[in-house]
Amino acid sequence: MSGGPAVRVSIESSCERQVQEVSLDGVETYVPPLSMSQNLAKLAQRIDFGHGSDSDEEDPSRESRESDWSKQEPEEDGKFQVSLRKLIHYKIYSSSGPMKFQPCLWPWDSVRNHLRSALTEMCVLHDVLSVVKEKKYMALDPVSQDPSVAKTPQVFQLISKKKSLATAAQLLLKGAEKLSKSVTESQEQRRQRDFNAELLHLRSQWKLRKVGDKILGDLSYRSAGSLFTHHGTFEVIKNTDIDLDKKIPDDYCPLNVQIPSDLEGSAYIKVSIQKQAPDIGDLGTVNLLRRQPKARPGTVLIHFLISAQNVLLCKEIFAQLSREAVQIKSHIPHIVVKNQIISQPFPGLQLSISLCHSTVEKKNQRTSPDKAKPDDHLYVLEHNLHQLIREFHKQTLSSSVMPHPASAPFGPKRLRLAGPMAYDKAEISCLQHGEGLLEKIVKQAKHIFLRSRTARTIDCLASRIEDPQIQAHWSNINDVYESSVKVLITSQGYEQICKSIQLQLNIGVEQIRVVHRDGRVITLSHQEQELQDFLLSQMSQHQVHAVQQLAKVMGWHVLSFSNHVGLGAVESIGNASAITVASPNGEYAVSVRNGPESGCKVLVQFPRCQTKDLPKSDVLQDGKWSHLRGPYKEVHWSRMEGRNFVYKMELLMAALTPCP
Amino acid sequence: MEAPPVTVMPVTGGTINMMEYLLQGSVLDQSLDSLLHRLRGLCDNMEPESFADHELVYLLKGQQGNPFILRARRSLAHPTAPWHLRYLGQPEVGDKSRHALVRNCVDVAASHSLPDFLNEMGFRMDHEFVAKGHIFRKGALKMVVSKLSRVLVPGNTDNTEPLSLSYLVELSVLAPAGQDTVSEDMRSFAEQLKPLVHLEKIDPKRLM
Repeated sequence: MSGGPAVRVSIESSCERQVQEVSLDGVETYVPPLSMSQNLAKLAQRIDFGHGSDSDEEDPSRESRESDWSKQEPEEDGKFQVSLRKLIHYKIYSSSGPMKFQPCLWPWDSVRNHLRSALTEMCVLHDVLSVVKEKKYMALDPVSQDPSVAKTPQVFQLISKKKSLATAAQLLLKGAEKLSKSVTESQEQRRQRDFNAELLHLRSQWKLRKVGDKILGDLSYRSAGSLFTHHGTFEVIKNTDIDLDKKIPDDYCPLNVQIPSDLEGSAYIKVSIQKQAPDIGDLGTVNLLRRQPKARPGTVLIHFLISAQNVLLCKEIFAQLSREAVQIKSHIPHIVVKNQIISQPFPGLQLSISLCHSTVEKKNQRTSPDKAKPDDHLYVLEHNLHQLIREFHKQTLSSSVMPHPASAPFGPKRLRLAGPMAYDKAEISCLQHGEGLLEKIVKQAKHIFLRSRTARTIDCLASRIEDPQIQAHWSNINDVYESSVKVLITSQGYEQICKSIQLQLNIGVEQIRVVHRDGRVITLSHQEQELQDFLLSQMSQHQVHAVQQLAKVMGWHVLSFSNHVGLGAVESIGNASAITVASPNGEYAVSVRNGPESGCKVLVQFPRCQTKDLPKSDVLQDGKWSHLRGPYKEVHWSRMEGRNFVYKMELLMAALTPCP
Repeated sequence: MEAPPVTVMPVTGGTINMMEYLLQGSVLDQSLDSLLHRLRGLCDNMEPESFADHELVYLLKGQQGNPFILRARRSLAHPTAPWHLRYLGQPEVGDKSRHALVRNCVDVAASHSLPDFLNEMGFRMDHEFVAKGHIFRKGALKMVVSKLSRVLVPGNTDNTEPLSLSYLVELSVLAPAGQDTVSEDMRSFAEQLKPLVHLEKIDPKRLM
């Protein structure tokens, strides 16, 4: 068989299902096979319970037998025979049972048989037990066994079993203990490793050192040259407040840092310039705890430290500023109240520098009444303050220069220089003295204020006065103390010919230097009015200059020109300027007087011959005298056509020029 | 010529009573770089500064005892810097357990007319040399690594010849007398330089 190919024989059950229906196309529908329960039900249907073949016949006997049994127990008298009889009877009954009916018609036959045999066994057992219980006829004695052989091993077995169980249990317990220990250890090790790795990471960015059993870090800027007395030390602690059994949270950090409580939260320096001074009572209450508290320390350790360092730096800046504010003697003393320093750069102006330090706890109790206030931060100055303190740090670092020659002791350079160079006190103090932080920042504030006000003044004038026009070109490259703007005054449409007024305004700290195109320098103070007046007078001069330029283009002759006329009404701002031009053939003359305040006045002089109403003079009889100049007449300038002064002037000149 | 009336006495008292604590050693030219590298790491984070100095040693011979020695030094790299006049006393004998050589020291910055002034006072130049090298600082500790060169033609510092194939390494601190904690600091600092250079307490008298 193994040699030959295996023949696959498929056995198919023949279709024994009944055909239920044959459809017209010849498809046969079968009756589905019965399931187990259906089969059972079908079989059960066949039983005729009413015609229980033997039960009917045997019922009375069974009844009597059962009653017998029930009676047997209380009677308990010599029923042994009865039981035996029954036993025999059962045997006969059971043997004769199957013969009474057709086995094929009796599907529960086997069940019945088993039940019956079970009943027989039970009955026998009952009988035996009852006989034994009586003890009249029979007694059950245990089979005698050697106690030494039988009993000792049992006890011994028990003990040995107990012992071996105990050792097994011990082993298991030991193993479990070891296992749990190793799990704990590995967890601990991992955490230790994490701790070390984190520590290494922290060390790459912060100065850490071990003091005793503590790890201390340094937040201060001392190594960068800071002289601030705050120690700025933070302590690195191992984060152990975690339950080992619980799952380690994702943001768990094995390191934790403890920073001094006064460095918690976030801080910044606020610099602002206000117009009017508030009450002294109001001072020092600036509470701008606007910033949101930082994320939890565990999650962003580095950020936490950075913000703490920032707090430290802000405190240092503020401490330095307040120290200087107290020390510096100025005309208007600087005021230091709580967390605010107030200085007056210009009269009526107030520079306030405040330290805003918000801690997380404070945030809750804070109400925010100042939120609606406009943001008057001077971010540039805030930034510059940070820059200045760093410069200051650098200065302290570099002040301890290496001595030359090398054998000389360490020490400030000025001490070494002072003796041999025979410096006097002034020279030494000049070497020593550097401008303080506050002085610098006040100067910067002054400059910023002056610059913005200049810009405002120019813009204001430019929008108010349309003729002539003002153009301002601001320079992009500025110093913290100086910036410049170029101001051009032109007339619309005549930009090419009217370029006389070009001003360079150098805005400094206290004053504005104006450089004219021709090199004249005028120094203006910080007062807004001065600049405005100056520009107004320049604009009025521009008009006269424009007439001069126009006359050149039109072929007219300039008879006289004066920037500052000494005659006429006195102007409140500057001086009036005037020009007189004559037409190409000399018949007409136009005289213009322009004052910053009085405005322009244009007069035309007619030739004598054209004036009819002149009284005849006895002296000027001759015809040649008719070429003499005649009287002036004022032009109603506002009624002239033209969009601006120069255009009107051009029209006037054109009208007075005779056609060729 | 009569000897000038100078008392050959160590200067004591007042603010000038400073002591120099000194440790010395030397390093061969080829290992200079590694020493400088090490020093850069150990010392305060400033750019290491090199220097070139010219030192003149003046003697004033009194009638009795040892001559009085003054050292005048000027910087060749910074000609405008003041001269430096230095008096160094005899090394203190005493505590053997002290880790550094201790001697009296007086430092004075002086103007450029110092050589003439000393000559006028009766001092005579004994010898001169040029020291070129690097200077480091760690707190109060001063670390000088320098190459000493002989001046071939007196007064001409351009024409020099190296004295040896090694660099002199000096670790010094200026402190008031009695501050022995300084010598502890020096010793621990010297320990950190150990394989590269052995800084020791060298008594100049023993070498003579």
